[in-house]
Amino acid sequence: MSLNKNMRVVIVDDYTTMLRILRNLLRQLELCNVEEATDGDTAFHLIQKTPPDLIISDWNMAPVTGLDLLRRVRGDAKLKHIPFIMVTAESKTENVIAAKQAGVSNYIVKPFNADTLRAKIASVCGVMA
Amino acid sequence: MDPNPASASRLPDAHGFLDRVIEQLRVLKSPQKDTLVSVLEYLSDHIRMTRSEISALRQEGGNQQLFGNTADELEEIVSETARAANNIMDAAETIESVAATLDAPANAALTDAVTKIYEASAFQDITGQRITKVVRVLQTLETKLASLMEAFGPEQVLAECALLQGDQALLNGPQLKKTASSQSDIDALFETLG
Repeated sequence: MSLNKNMRVVIVDDYTTMLRILRNLLRQLELCNVEEATDGDTAFHLIQKTPPDLIISDWNMAPVTGLDLLRRVRGDAKLKHIPFIMVTAESKTENVIAAKQAGVSNYIVKPFNADTLRAKIASVCGVMA
Repeated sequence: MDPNPASASRLPDAHGFLDRVIEQLRVLKSPQKDTLVSVLEYLSDHIRMTRSEISALRQEGGNQQLFGNTADELEEIVSETARAANNIMDAAETIESVAATLDAPANAALTDAVTKIYEASAFQDITGQRITKVVRVLQTLETKLASLMEAFGPEQVLAECALLQGDQALLNGPQLKKTASSQSDIDALFETLG
């Protein structure tokens, strides 16, 4: 089984360089239906407007952090089922626990490689990497 | 003389109060006064020294400018690295599109190399976060120094040093290499959380 190439992915990061990296790596996975946001608030409105198949978000953003975004998504009955991957430099145990408690689907620590991204997407989308 | 030292919260007032206490002690006839007077004189000298050091900092163009310039320089590094990372990715994207026109082995080799360039370009995000963290520390130092210049209130210093709590305490940014968790550490932890 492989990834659904038409799946819509929302990527969120306040660093546009990282958004570009993610977009390019997703394109290499043939995931081209990608929308991006540079903060949690914009991302949430984008997600509410048209719920995506996958959310990939940074944590450390202001004023709405990735953790806030995750909580908002999980608190919304229409959105709570969407796989949510946190991609962040925050790698302390308490961060992973907090994200898990908030309902994160998987967690990638920066800097990461394409294989890790592919494996985590496959894992949360229920397909073999 | 103001009998209540707590009301003399500003450093010059507190220092003046201390000097007046020393003067009053000196005229007492008690033999035990000498130790107390020397301790208070020692304190008074240190306060005088601190005041002159802070004044010297202020005269050297002002702490605001000193910290402001340093923060600007650091933010410039973030902008420069972002520009460089984008230029690198422009080139990588061009290579990737040309690679698509080549035969399969050449395409695969170039695509592999381009993937590594994309992965490595994450340096800008990581260094940017580290630098932002340093800028925040500088801003905190600037505020503290401004407070010191304004007054010498210990309660104020303690309040500023209060530990961050809740979600704010989770915003630490990238960890140093020697203490950072690897992806496999994260995966293992994630698994144990069920």
